[in-house]
Amino acid sequence: MFNDASIKEIAEIRTKYPNSRAALLPALYVAQREFGWLSPEAYEAVADLLSVPKATARGVGTFYAMYKQKPMGRHLIQLCTNVSCMILGAEKLVDFLKNKYGIEPGGISPDGRFSLVIMECIGACGTAPAMLVNEDFHENLTEKNLEETLEKYR
Amino acid sequence: METILLKNIHNPNSADISEYKNIGGYRSLEKALAMEPQEVIDEVKRAGLRGRGGAGFPVAMKWTFAAADPKFPKYLLCNADEGEPGTFKDRPILEKNPHILIEGMVISGHALKAEYGYIYLRGEYPAAKHILNKAIKQAYDNNLLGENILGKGITFHLAVHQGAGAYICGEETALIESLEGDKGQPRIKPPFPVNIGVFSKPTVVNNVETLSNLPYIIEAGGETYAKIGTPDCPGPKIFCVSGHIEKPGVYELPMGTTLKDIIYTHCGGIKGGKKLKAVIPGGISTPVLPPDKIDCHMDFVNMPKHGSMLGSGAVIVMDETVCLVKVCYRALRFFEHESCGKCTPCREGTGWLRAILERIEQGHGAEGDIDLLLSVAGNILGKTFCPLGDGAASVVQNFIKHFRPEFEEHIKAKKCTVNG
Amino acid sequence: MKIIAITINGKEIQLEKAVTVLEAARSAGIKIPTLCYHEQLERYGGCRLCLVEVEKMPRLQTACTLMVADGMVVRTETEQIADVRRGILEFLLINHPLDCPYCDKAGECDLQDLVEKYGPAKGRFKEKKRKVAESLADSAIVRNMERCIMCTRCVRMCEGKQGASAIAVIDRGGHSHVEPFSGGKFDCEYCGNCVSVCPVGAMMSRLHRHSYRPWQVKERHETVCPYCAVGCTVVAQVRDDVIMRVIPKLGSAVNNGMLCSRGRFGYEFVGSKDRLTTPLIKKNGKLIEATWEEAITLVAKKLSDIKVTFTSQAIAGISSLRCTNEDNYVFQKFMRAAVGTNNIDTTARTGFAGAQSFIENIFGQGATANIISGLANSDTVLVIGGDPTTINPILGLQIRACARRDGNVLTIGTIDGLRHFNPTKLLPKLQTEATLLEGIVTALREKKGLPGSNAALEAKINEISITADEVIDKTGVSGAELSAFVDLLATAATFSLVIGKDIVQSTGGSYKLLLLSAINYLANGRIYLLSEKANEQGALDMGCAPDILPGHRPVAYPEFRKKCENIWHVELSDKPGLNLFEMIETADKGSLKAVYVMGENPLCNIPDSGRVEAAFRKLDFLVVQDIFLTETAKLADVVLPALSWAEKEGTFTNMERRIQRVRKSVHREGMEDWKIIAEISKNMGYSMDYRGAEDVFHEAAKVSPLHRDLTYEDIENEDNIYPYKGEPLRDAKEEIQVDRSARSAATGTLYLKIEKPLFHSGTMSTKAPALLNIYPQSVARVSAETAQAFSLTEGDVVRVKTKAGSLALFIAIEKDGDSSSVKISNNFEGKNAFRLTDCILDPVTKAPCLDSIEIIIEKVTA
Repeated sequence: MFNDASIKEIAEIRTKYPNSRAALLPALYVAQREFGWLSPEAYEAVADLLSVPKATARGVGTFYAMYKQKPMGRHLIQLCTNVSCMILGAEKLVDFLKNKYGIEPGGISPDGRFSLVIMECIGACGTAPAMLVNEDFHENLTEKNLEETLEKYR
Repeated sequence: METILLKNIHNPNSADISEYKNIGGYRSLEKALAMEPQEVIDEVKRAGLRGRGGAGFPVAMKWTFAAADPKFPKYLLCNADEGEPGTFKDRPILEKNPHILIEGMVISGHALKAEYGYIYLRGEYPAAKHILNKAIKQAYDNNLLGENILGKGITFHLAVHQGAGAYICGEETALIESLEGDKGQPRIKPPFPVNIGVFSKPTVVNNVETLSNLPYIIEAGGETYAKIGTPDCPGPKIFCVSGHIEKPGVYELPMGTTLKDIIYTHCGGIKGGKKLKAVIPGGISTPVLPPDKIDCHMDFVNMPKHGSMLGSGAVIVMDETVCLVKVCYRALRFFEHESCGKCTPCREGTGWLRAILERIEQGHGAEGDIDLLLSVAGNILGKTFCPLGDGAASVVQNFIKHFRPEFEEHIKAKKCTVNG
Repeated sequence: MKIIAITINGKEIQLEKAVTVLEAARSAGIKIPTLCYHEQLERYGGCRLCLVEVEKMPRLQTACTLMVADGMVVRTETEQIADVRRGILEFLLINHPLDCPYCDKAGECDLQDLVEKYGPAKGRFKEKKRKVAESLADSAIVRNMERCIMCTRCVRMCEGKQGASAIAVIDRGGHSHVEPFSGGKFDCEYCGNCVSVCPVGAMMSRLHRHSYRPWQVKERHETVCPYCAVGCTVVAQVRDDVIMRVIPKLGSAVNNGMLCSRGRFGYEFVGSKDRLTTPLIKKNGKLIEATWEEAITLVAKKLSDIKVTFTSQAIAGISSLRCTNEDNYVFQKFMRAAVGTNNIDTTARTGFAGAQSFIENIFGQGATANIISGLANSDTVLVIGGDPTTINPILGLQIRACARRDGNVLTIGTIDGLRHFNPTKLLPKLQTEATLLEGIVTALREKKGLPGSNAALEAKINEISITADEVIDKTGVSGAELSAFVDLLATAATFSLVIGKDIVQSTGGSYKLLLLSAINYLANGRIYLLSEKANEQGALDMGCAPDILPGHRPVAYPEFRKKCENIWHVELSDKPGLNLFEMIETADKGSLKAVYVMGENPLCNIPDSGRVEAAFRKLDFLVVQDIFLTETAKLADVVLPALSWAEKEGTFTNMERRIQRVRKSVHREGMEDWKIIAEISKNMGYSMDYRGAEDVFHEAAKVSPLHRDLTYEDIENEDNIYPYKGEPLRDAKEEIQVDRSARSAATGTLYLKIEKPLFHSGTMSTKAPALLNIYPQSVARVSAETAQAFSLTEGDVVRVKTKAGSLALFIAIEKDGDSSSVKISNNFEGKNAFRLTDCILDPVTKAPCLDSIEIIIEKVTA
């Protein structure tokens, strides 16, 4: 079940749309934030609140790459490896994360601190390679500044 | 050239309404609200504005269809789902110049008699979401959004709708589905969104950059605007340049600037003075060009004549160290990942193309694989529900068309011959 | 109208309306291959197999989505198109396993057929195919995602037609697959309509898994579903005298390709090992196998003796809502002509019969004979007194379709099956519906005025008056809600009213029916009276009631009696017989001596089961004719095994009063119900000699003015819509009786509510293993709130008690259930809700009032 603040937030989101179904995507974001990932309970909570069938809610949720279908680490690293980033060394950074922190793409670091998701272009091609950690952009990455950056996320 | 769209973005407070107003912001809105909706459409028609999302459809024509539909309310959707790899042209507008977009949207809303607008923002731009929400709040507080805007009896509500990581939502009907709370899968056309769009109402979907042109068109007039760029494709265009380039970034240049000029004149040439090997001119879905084909005017009309497309104006520059088999493989990984799964050729074909490219790239290619790639691509091209599959097929066809020997060497040597 | 002319493959086709190119081609006999297209579903355009060349269009076009335009020139069989089809099929075969020898679908698989026709003979995909284990997590539906070709027909069926939205496409692109929410068990409405539309072996029924190949089915019998009164057309596919599966038929009039769980998965009772195989005679308190001769002789003798000793009035018959019209006709004729009494009734007396008479007395006979599909086209539908999506599921779909077409669906009370269809709801406080309905009638009358076409009803309407404030105060419904509701009723152009039994079986039920009739009248609507059993209407129309003769003619009218007498060659009693409840009462008092039960289980299906049992135990002689040894049968002196619905010919009359043919699908030793009765009758000295069911029907059509001259041929030609070639009873209206006094004031905290599960109907469905797997036992269903209040968790055992009785049941918790009720179904013998109810009757409809039975829950500690 959602906490009261989330219920209120979703009710407010709902007012932006002519029907409750349209509030599904933003409500799933709220659920993901509150539950940590879109667990069956999270889907049910959203489905109940918006009066959307739960299977439908899950079908929609699983369509989008940014909704997480399994538990996540404390911080989410979204590293781009699409062409502009790749040709400027993004793949080496993937290897670096694996070696340094023990995170496989799509996985969680053994200490539960980071999740790593490989992204398909995050719109930072001019400053490639780039990543998002949670909601923050980090650009012109090298192994060195990547490590320094991640130190800020405990 | 004096910038129009990226004006003032180097000012650290450019996203604030007062800064925007200081440089004349929202004066066009006042002017537009004093005009009849049809006059606004006419002005846009005189400007010759084409959609900046990639297809280059004449904006005034789209608007005319939607305005003519008797159903209300009408919706104006801003496509800020900038997902085409290599593209980051809208991000500076969204993050640094949000009020030009809002002003553009209110003007467009007036022209269309649309009362509701949404900015469909890609999930990968979390910062932009906060900035836009703040800017929208400022606009509401200043009576620039909401009911009775500037006392002119015009209503326009605006909200941000965040996507969640699906490239396909850049396709306008998929965007509409997604806004309605569904999977972003394209719809059957017709009916077109201008008649039956979001919530079954007449809907116009325009790109961020397109809408941001509106304040200037109203301010300067369509005729003045049309003097920028080329006669077929007037106006400024934001090019975003990445890869092996001395000065990567966003450049607002007249439409029709040559690719060569962009790379060598504006961006300082190839990084480290290396040799240019290939350029993708308009985002990853547009056909790759070899170095001898870059003297082409970057606009919607000229690029097809040179075997490519303007696309989103996302120029990806690749020097001699790049393995193009690998780039092609990476591109197909992208298409496979982003295929929505609705139609057979795209759902099954992109994965198959990726699999063949993967084995070639990893040194397990076999004789006949190039022909197989071309055959599979041929079975996709023109048979898919939406252009995503066509993009995937044409990427393979064009990489092979221009760089076939590299693929052959890769297969023969059973390894990458560029980087050992 | 302008004709659209198009050319396909050189053939000119004229069309009266804009259809898709595919439909145009099909209408001209040109086949275009498809996979994602299905005539029941919305256009999709996903599989791309139907791509065709269209002149002046640069790209190939999907025939299933492209609408025809005048002058269009289409080519469907070119070299390019052949290549396209081969290419698409090659794509589909990338991941589709070639396990056809093992797959149940082989032989009726669209993909298999298409590849056979168009190729490719050999694939070029060298990588590994996708491997996904077949899911056997569900008891009814097998899901095989390796075979799925993502046509999404199942999901579109589930969402767009069934409205269950229980399955969805999960993930995207090449990872797309179809799953129920749990990922395993479906936990859905189990309509199985996903199975119907799957073109490959991805969604299949588990009931016949690996038991036969489609081409081994030699017989396909088109018949009527045995469960509810919607009367869906079903096709029983038979091999070696066993029903292998039951499927719907596209284009059939009532259900057009749709089925519900009972219809699709409930057929296995036919082949149940529990079926009675031989007559049984009670000796020394035990039922002992006997021959037909012994049994028939005994029944005839006993009934004759009782008739002589105590008069005919000491004998009563309870007939069946599941038996055919022919069975019921013969049964009532037997009671009237051979036994000599009008003591005949059915469990229709528990609600439907009284409600229908009440409504027909106001609006005329046939007032409830309305076409079910009309609901979908109504602009406004009001539902009250039961969930149509579980009681009459296919009718429920029509209401969902109405909502989907932006019709206004209004409900009084929560109708669970319409939850996702955004109904406009009024939720009056417990037992204040009458006040709410008075409020609606008053407001509607003020808004619309009286139409002036029904003086008797208008006189009653004029007696109704209540202020909005009083309604708001008593019912808890807000003024805004009430007036919005009334506005929708007032502006309705095509209004339908759907009435469920809960309202009939409530305190003051007849008054509520009057109020509902008033609403229907003021909103110029038509009434649908939900009916749970396949031939409830038919049993009544055949005269299985103490006061009516075949054709729904009153016994009291000499002219109608005369007609029967002429054909039956006996004199009939003009005295109305005992109704169902009077039978129990007189049996209890000892004056009723014998009861003959045909295809009914009174111990379970009459409220206050304990009292029914006690009364039946007092009988001198009880005959039960059935297909199973029911609780009632166990009490009998003689048990006679009958043939089931699947084993005989006949007809059912559905709730629309459409008469449809029931066909013999499998052969079984034994006699039809009518035949057994005829044999007994003959032994009692009243000969009934019919060559077959058709012969019986022929006689009924002579006796009944309603069925006048109706033949099986007419029925098969679909000349089967009420009032056929006959005539409804006119001008037999009586004074509208109103009893306003009965109003229950709720004082308790918890009330018994009789659950009508989607998966059961009567006790017959509990003999269908697939339905039993889905809903295995009687439970006490409470809301999460109630569960918390009593510290109960799912699966706890509780003792539920009422004034009438008590039961030990497992607890089931409903998340958003209603906290004032404990829901118990009436389907499981010995654990049925009617064990907990008393049986106080409404003075007008004579239906039992079952809405104010207070109930207590006690947790039974382990």
